[in-house]
This record gives sequence, structure tokens and C-alpha cells, in this order.
Amino acid sequence: MLIPIHSADSASLIHLREHLLAEATPGSRVILDLKAVEKLTSLEAALLLRLVIEGKKKNLEVRFSSLSLEAQQAFTGLETNMLTDGATAAEDLSPVEEVGEQTLEFVAAGRRLLDLIGELTYWLVIAPWRGKGMKWDRTLEQITKVGIEGIPIVTFLSFLIGAVLALNSASQLRQFGAAIYIANLVGVSMTREMAPLITAIIVSGRSGAAITAELGTMVVSEEVDAMRTMALSPGRFLLLPRVLGLLCAVPCLTILSNLAGIFGGYWIGVILLGLGSRNYLQQTAQALLISDLITGMVKSVVFALLIGLVACYRGLYVQGGAEGVGTNTTASVVTSIVLCILADALFTTIFFYFE
Amino acid sequence: MTTLPDTPYVQVENLVARYGTRTILDGVSMTARRGEITVILGGSGCGKSTLLRHIVGLLTPAAGRVLINGQDIHQASEDEQEVILRNLGMSFQAGALFNSMTLEENVALPIIEHAKADAATATTLARMKLSLVGLGHAGHLLPAEISGGMKKRAAVARALALDPQLLLFDELSAGLDPVTARELDELILRLKMQLGVVILIVTHELSSIQMIADQAVMLHAGKVIASGPLADVRALEHPQVHAFFDRQPRPVTMQQALLQTLLVNGES
Repeated sequence: MLIPIHSADSASLIHLREHLLAEATPGSRVILDLKAVEKLTSLEAALLLRLVIEGKKKNLEVRFSSLSLEAQQAFTGLETNMLTDGATAAEDLSPVEEVGEQTLEFVAAGRRLLDLIGELTYWLVIAPWRGKGMKWDRTLEQITKVGIEGIPIVTFLSFLIGAVLALNSASQLRQFGAAIYIANLVGVSMTREMAPLITAIIVSGRSGAAITAELGTMVVSEEVDAMRTMALSPGRFLLLPRVLGLLCAVPCLTILSNLAGIFGGYWIGVILLGLGSRNYLQQTAQALLISDLITGMVKSVVFALLIGLVACYRGLYVQGGAEGVGTNTTASVVTSIVLCILADALFTTIFFYFE
Repeated sequence: MTTLPDTPYVQVENLVARYGTRTILDGVSMTARRGEITVILGGSGCGKSTLLRHIVGLLTPAAGRVLINGQDIHQASEDEQEVILRNLGMSFQAGALFNSMTLEENVALPIIEHAKADAATATTLARMKLSLVGLGHAGHLLPAEISGGMKKRAAVARALALDPQLLLFDELSAGLDPVTARELDELILRLKMQLGVVILIVTHELSSIQMIADQAVMLHAGKVIASGPLADVRALEHPQVHAFFDRQPRPVTMQQALLQTLLVNGES
């Protein structure tokens, strides 16, 4: 079949491709007569090449005729793999291959996470016995970053959460003349649930993101590789101090959050509802059990570990430059918040049945 | 383990490197000796930096091995690997300086960690190393505050921090102005004369190669196509070698031939 091409603009070529692929008989030979075309742009050349490639997939042999020397210049950069569509072959996976690929990636990710946990355990437990102590100065630096610098935001938000809890419960409890039980509700909610969770969410958004972005940038700029070539382990110098920093800072911030939240409830109860300062504090003290505080503390330690592992993992395995750092930082925050809430639900269920 | 003077300090044997299903290096073998500058040449994407990363143990080979001073870096125990790494210094393409540290702190870090020196001694030594590369005045600056050429020189100073036996440079003079590139070349020649160490450089800068190389290893599509003294490699009758040294663009005839297959009866 000989098709004369009078105009090789993009729209005409796209139209021709659709028409040809839909109507030409498989196995036939299509010759595009380009006699009327003096020259081509590189986009038009690429569209002609797509015709050849996609024609081949439909068992059509597409060839050009009377291509002027000037038009041939538009094909500069042509390489063999472009004619076989090799560049996109990897994307055209069958559903089964896609599942296989995803499974392998999942297994590889699990292995990398285990490597990370193994490395942290080695530097925390084994290495100190072999004369390779922990980097306390770097750990202190992280405690400052996560803990000290996180105090204002954790205190402020926890105070507000405590106040909001008190206000919400007041409207219900006042109907039964039981407004004093606001103290119980705020105290128990804060120590068991809200304080560990709100602290974990703030820390994962603030410090978890910072850890991932910092480590990711170091990976992208080859700083982590440079460390390795200097026989300085990233596990010892970068990861362990960050995880330990979180493990120390998050429980402390949680205690602070407890106090701020209870104070938020106290402020509403005493100033707005007139419950009496002494009464409110006595009621809070009676309502709180040591097991409530321990429950909250156990959760905060687990949350800190989750945030640390996720942040370090996401940071250390960044791929694809600046974009990869951004993607992994977002993923780090989302993953750690989801994991913390899942862990919280699990703990609450366990404590509910075993108390 | 020590080796006889004649034995190469670096021996790469039939190295195969893969990223997923792509083979980057396919049976590469090469050596580098003390007191010599060995240059790894080749066009962009031919596997030069990948080879360097295997030599320092950052990547694990799919097959083959890398011996540093007679010891397989990938099979070495953790302690043995630490000894090997303490005896090598590497400068990365963009410097890879720690951005949160000043130049002085960057250079002092391996000294404090490995030489067990106190901070004051490490700082003095770091200043000496920075002076050696002409940055004695810039020790207090952060990497973000200096130029690309200064970063690369600072990275060389850091690579020299522990007086290594093996120095590796990845694209040291790439992207630098001719004067700075020349200064770095002279610095490398000076290091070779003064320290007598093994120097391995990945580059495709012709002027740099001609000035500093004793030995050359040329890669093309993941294979070694030429190796030996630079003069011998240059004289080799091989189209890729000629194309590289004579700066010939990729043959248009190949492209032309490919286009002919798309034309009816090969008409043009």
C-alpha cells in the first residue's frame, strides 16, 4: 500500500497512525511516500518512527519512500534499540509478571529492614563490647533536636487537646451533674491514649521527616558512601544516635504532654466550669492509676522505635535524587503515623483484655 | 597481609557487575601498582564509576573479585575490611563532603575516629592536609560556602587524612575550569612523587589523562578494550580507542545505515 504524505505536521501524522493501525491488513507492507515533504522536525521524525514501531506490533511493515536528505537530518540520534521499542519493554509487564515484580520488591524491602534492625542491634549491643562505643555526643545532639526543640509544640498542642477533651465532655457530663468527672476523663485519656499518640504524631511529622530528609540528602550527595569508604559505619554514626535520640526524647515529651493535657483540662474545669482547683486535682489523682502511666510510657517507647526505624529506613534507601528525598520523606511521615495508630489500637486491645 | 613489591596493590579479576538485569561490567580485569597513576578511561556510562565503587567495596560483584594488597575486599571480615578501608582514601565526583561540618572538621573526622588523636591534634593535622591542597585558609568554611573546585580539593585533603596507600579519584577534574583542573592534576602528580602511593583515577578528560597517567585501562560497554602504559594504549589500533583519543563523534554512518533500513530499497 502506498500512501502519499502531503503534510507531515504532527496532527496529520497522529491521524494517519490511528487510521493505519485500525484499518491496514496485518502482514501487509505500507510505504509512506514523503516526496512532498521537504524537511521534518525532530517531533515529526519521532512520530514517523512510532508508526514503524507500532506497525511492527500489528505485523505491518512500514517503510519510507523519497525521504529528502534534509528530512533525513531530523533522524539524528536514531539508535537500534529505538526501533525495537526496547526502552519501554520493561514497562509492558503482564499482570503475573507485575505481581512477581512487586513480590520480589516486597521481599527485598523486608530484607533491607531486617539488615537495618540487625545493624542497629549490632552497634547497640555487640560493638560496645568490642571497643566500639556509641556516639554519645551525636545522640545528645539528637535528643536536643527531637526533645528540647520539640517541647513548645508538644506542650501547646497537648494543652489544647486536654482543653478540648474537657469542653466536649463537659457538655454531656453537666447534664447528669457529673462535671467533676471531666478530671477522670481528661486524666485517663491523656495518660493512656492521647499523650503518647499526639506526641508520636508530632514527632513523626517534625523529627521523623527531618531524619529521613537529612539521611536521604546524605545518600544522594554520596556522603553516606564517603563514610563507608572511610570505614565509618553509617549505623554507628548516623542511625543509632537518631534512634536512641528518639527513644530518650519521645517518652520524656509524652510525660510533658500528659502534664500539659491535664493542665488544659484543669484550666477549663476550674476557670470556665468553676469545679474548684483542689477538687479537680484530687479527682485527677484518684482517677489515675500507675498502670495508666505505665501503659502510656510503654506505648511511647514503641512509637519512638517505629518512628526511628521508618525514618532511618526511608532515608537510607532513597533513590532518584531530590525527588526521591521528597517522596520518601512524605512516605516516612505517613508510614510512621499509620504504624503508630495501628500499634496503639493493638496495645489498647491487649490492655483491655488483660487488665 | 603484605605483598611483594612487584605484586599489584589493586587486582581486579573477571569482575561482573549488574544492576538488576543490566550488565554494567562484564569480566573486567585490571591492576594498579605502587608509585603509578592508573587512569580508568571511557565514555559516559561505560562503567568507570561502577568499577571504582566495586574496588572500594561499596558494591558487591555478581562475579569475580577485587584484591587490595592481596586481600579480597568483599570476602574480608569486618575488622579486615576496616584495615583495608583505613589504607585507602577516595574522593567522590562532587566531593561528598559532610555539609554540616566545616572543611577542617571534615578532614579531622577520620583522624579522630581511626588515629585516636585528640581533637587539637586532629585539627592541626587537618590544617596540614588542607594546606597541602591549597586550602589552609578555608578550614573554617562550610562546604556550602566554597566553590566546586575547592570542594574537590577539600575532598582530596580528606582522602589524604590517614596517609593512605591507595588513593581513588572519581572524575576529579570534571566540570572545573581549565586552571583549577590543571592545579588538581599538578596536585596529583605531587602526591605521587611525595607519597609514592597507588593512585587510581576515573576520568574522561583528555588533557588530564595526558598529563598524569602512567597506566591506562580503557572501558567500553562494560569490557576492558585496552590496558597498559598510556603510550601503548594510545597507539593501539582499535576504533573505540581512536574515537576516544581523537575525540571523534559516534560514527554517523551507523546511524545512516540504520535509517536506510527504514527506506524502501535503501534509497536515500
